[in-house]
Amino acid sequence: MIERIVYNIIQVVVVVAFAPLLEGITSRLKEILQSKRGPNIFQPYRDIWKLLHKDELVSEHSSWIFRAAPYVAFAAPVFVALLIPVLTRYPLFFAFMGDMLGGGFVLALGGFFTSLAAVDTANPYGPMGASRTRMVGFLAEPVFIVVFLTVSFVAGSTIPYIVQTRWVTPIANFFEPSHILLLIAFLMLILAEDGRIPVDSPSGQFELAMIERSKSLEYSGRGAALMKWAGAMKFFVLICIFLNVLVTPWGLAQGMGFGEVLLAIPLVLLKVFCFVLVLVYIESSLAKLRLFRITEFLGAAFVISVVAVITQLSQI
Amino acid sequence: MELVGILVIPLLASGLSLLPLGRRFAAPITLLATAIVLGLALAVAAEAARTGHVVASGEWLTCDGLGALVLLLVAFVGFTAALFSWGYIAESVKRGGHKSIRQYYALYNLFVLSMLLVPLLANVALMWIAVELTTLLSAFLVGFEDTPEALEAAWKYVVLTTLGAVLALLGFLVLYWGSRVAGLEPFTWVGLVEAAPRMPPALLWSAFLFILVGFGTKVGLVPMHTWLPDAHSQAPASICALLSGVETTTVLYVILRLFPVVGGAPGLDARPWFVGFGLLSVTIATLLLIYVRDFKRMFAFSTVEHMGIILVAAGLGGADAHLGAAYQMTGHAIAKSFCFFAAGVTVLGVGTQEIASVRGLVRSSPLAAIALLAGGFAIAGAPPFAVFVSEFVILKAGLATGQYIVVGLLAFLVVVAFCAVMVHVNRMAFGTPEHDVQALTLPRSCKLTLALAAVPLLLIGIYVPAPLQDLLKAAASAMGG
Amino acid sequence: MNGPPVLLALDALTGALFLLTALGVVATRQVLASLQLFILQSLLLTVSAVLLGIGLGSIHLIAVAAITIATKTLLIPWLLRRTVSAEVYRTREIERVLNIPSSLLIAAVLIVLAYVVANPLLSAVELPFAQINLPLGIAAMFLGTFTIVVRREAVPQLLGLLAVENGVFFAGVAIVPNLPVIAELAAAVDVPVVALVIGMLTRRIYARLGTTSVGELASLRDN
Repeated sequence: MIERIVYNIIQVVVVVAFAPLLEGITSRLKEILQSKRGPNIFQPYRDIWKLLHKDELVSEHSSWIFRAAPYVAFAAPVFVALLIPVLTRYPLFFAFMGDMLGGGFVLALGGFFTSLAAVDTANPYGPMGASRTRMVGFLAEPVFIVVFLTVSFVAGSTIPYIVQTRWVTPIANFFEPSHILLLIAFLMLILAEDGRIPVDSPSGQFELAMIERSKSLEYSGRGAALMKWAGAMKFFVLICIFLNVLVTPWGLAQGMGFGEVLLAIPLVLLKVFCFVLVLVYIESSLAKLRLFRITEFLGAAFVISVVAVITQLSQI
Repeated sequence: MELVGILVIPLLASGLSLLPLGRRFAAPITLLATAIVLGLALAVAAEAARTGHVVASGEWLTCDGLGALVLLLVAFVGFTAALFSWGYIAESVKRGGHKSIRQYYALYNLFVLSMLLVPLLANVALMWIAVELTTLLSAFLVGFEDTPEALEAAWKYVVLTTLGAVLALLGFLVLYWGSRVAGLEPFTWVGLVEAAPRMPPALLWSAFLFILVGFGTKVGLVPMHTWLPDAHSQAPASICALLSGVETTTVLYVILRLFPVVGGAPGLDARPWFVGFGLLSVTIATLLLIYVRDFKRMFAFSTVEHMGIILVAAGLGGADAHLGAAYQMTGHAIAKSFCFFAAGVTVLGVGTQEIASVRGLVRSSPLAAIALLAGGFAIAGAPPFAVFVSEFVILKAGLATGQYIVVGLLAFLVVVAFCAVMVHVNRMAFGTPEHDVQALTLPRSCKLTLALAAVPLLLIGIYVPAPLQDLLKAAASAMGG
Repeated sequence: MNGPPVLLALDALTGALFLLTALGVVATRQVLASLQLFILQSLLLTVSAVLLGIGLGSIHLIAVAAITIATKTLLIPWLLRRTVSAEVYRTREIERVLNIPSSLLIAAVLIVLAYVVANPLLSAVELPFAQINLPLGIAAMFLGTFTIVVRREAVPQLLGLLAVENGVFFAGVAIVPNLPVIAELAAAVDVPVVALVIGMLTRRIYARLGTTSVGELASLRDN
């Protein structure tokens, strides 16, 4: 009982602490793949530290949404980290507080506040980024829903831990056609939601081409640090959902021992690292899509997920 | 042995046509080859009619009543079209274009060979391949004129009919699956009829539907007929005669072969589907015939109509209806090829395929006009031509089995089509020509062909020689009548 | 559905990827990409044939696999390169009959339809592996037909046709593993001949008309 609470907290701490590291490793790997040297992998930590010690400048004309958004955006992935399997295979204390749809809604809440905050400023790029994010978001919604529907239908539950037990723990299920198709659809979804190539360029500096990052252009000091951290955490959380719930439970702790759970931390990070390798390769080999082509991209993801549902249902 | 000879000779002729000498000799060689094949086919047909049963040559080639009928028709039209080609193609090449006589005759022989193969092959899978070959070998023949329209027609032809054939392939695979479940070893039509009661009905039925739709595309059944008017109007006239006269009939033969197989299975009834598709084809074809503007296209639509009629006849059931279907196939092959010869001659003389541009043909070329009139009458179903008699037999058989609605509809549509064709043909043959009249000189071989082909055209309606009657009856019984 | 579970699982995976390539041929804009997807599809067909050959102990299927590799992955692309001129491969379809998301949605409906069609067949007779291969093969057939309808360029139409054949064979290896070899051989010969004929026709169209947008040839109409 006590252990479950403790492990849950450790889980959240891991997410909060290692998210910037993930960001750092991703950008470094991408640069290496492009034959450049790349920044230090701990650079995001330094950036956050620097930003936290700077003054914050807030416009007089903005409302409380602008001030609250960084905190909401930071809190959202933290909440979701309570719900999903990050370190353990068995459900922890807060696991039944919300299911996958609930987690999705919480993440969406963070995005919602960020979008509103972007509109709140008079910066011309803010609302533009917000509307683009909404477009990508609403196209990605059907894919989310269909994916969750399929996995829940098979697992008979919407709680991530139970889904993971029924879905991927038997090895034979890995090669099911619906499983592979769902993986592909969800991967496309991660690329879209997190603003990776081919949907958006995370390292681009040109504001007119930005989708996600223009929403946080107006922030400074603590607000900027929190937004940056929140973005990294959202990425980490999505990857955790993808890897731990949908791909394989390898590396997750089976027993209740403290040592086991601690061992799970580097194993899970290793798993995440392997995924990052794949992600970086995909990013480096594709070009950014033009804005109106994003509908085709997400349309393809939707059709793939629907096909996954069909192949799943037809075997029942 | 005749069966092997039938197959080897066109192969030889095709090879010979490709030789550099071929330019002068390709046409006579082809003519000789098709004449020999016709002779052999007559022999085979006579034997099949007499014994009413299978004429086997090894385990790969067999021929029963229906097969012999189709074989005979293919051989006949192959011969007349070869004769026609001699003059027509020579004239057409003389008038320009990047056309090669050698290529034409090489492909011609191979095309005729593939059509001869279909009724002779015993193994059903090989029969599919033969049908596929008829498409592939005629692709460049359809596009021979090398105009943009001809190439468009050739493209649609190849893509759509191959698509249909691949769909039919799935049907045949399912059929094979069913036959294996029923414990059948050699995959032949005879074996299938015998094994039909033991096959799982779901398999047999879906195979039937796949093959009907798939090969129905190649026969020109509506709604899969869209390629047919284009291909059958843009090809050179001799090829049109082959395509319309016998190629569609050959593929229809395969579908008709399926009828007794499905009939053998309890609880499955193919007849409504046959009647349905047939009536649909006749209806749409008749409608299109009213509005058609190109006379070769008109004859092409008439082919769709007749294929529909034959299918309806097969679907009506009963020995009489099947006899009518066999008779209709014969009459159609002879009449349609004649029509296209007449159309080809007209095109040579007038230079256009539009109905509206052709007036008063009887003044410029009496032969073309008479041929057109005769062909039009024959194919539209006027007495005393064969098509009239066969349609009458079919309608009577339908009445006898009590399917009044089908018969009524069919009769009405046939009459409408008759009027449409007659109006068009009359307008072309008579009337005052718009331009100055010049006497048209037609190639000798074309005239000879018209004269030669007119003989069976006129004769078959009035007098059916006894061996032919026996052959028709044998064909009808093979259809499951 | 009996058969060793590992083979079944791998076959299912192959089937899913097979379906994806069929979807890709419908959706992709570039002519060269559709050719590459077709080659991938043929490879997957080969893999499935080999898996089934091992699972059912049928040497015919291994032969089919060998024939498929030789004809579809090697011979046909070579034939197409020789007959269709190189410029055709650099083209992209700018205008389409239907835009990509709508085409993909219709494709999804067609996949459902394929399962509906395959169901009575599967419930009639039990065959190992058929439950995977038959519906997916029929789905690939429908998608290939849809490709022919939607695409305007000549080479994608041809590839749609060949994809339909791929679909038939994909279903066929499961339902008739013992078709006489001569029939399989002849059917395998048929595919390159089709490609050759259509390739040569494409070349002639290109030479004569200067374009390979065969979907836009519409001079023959009834009106």
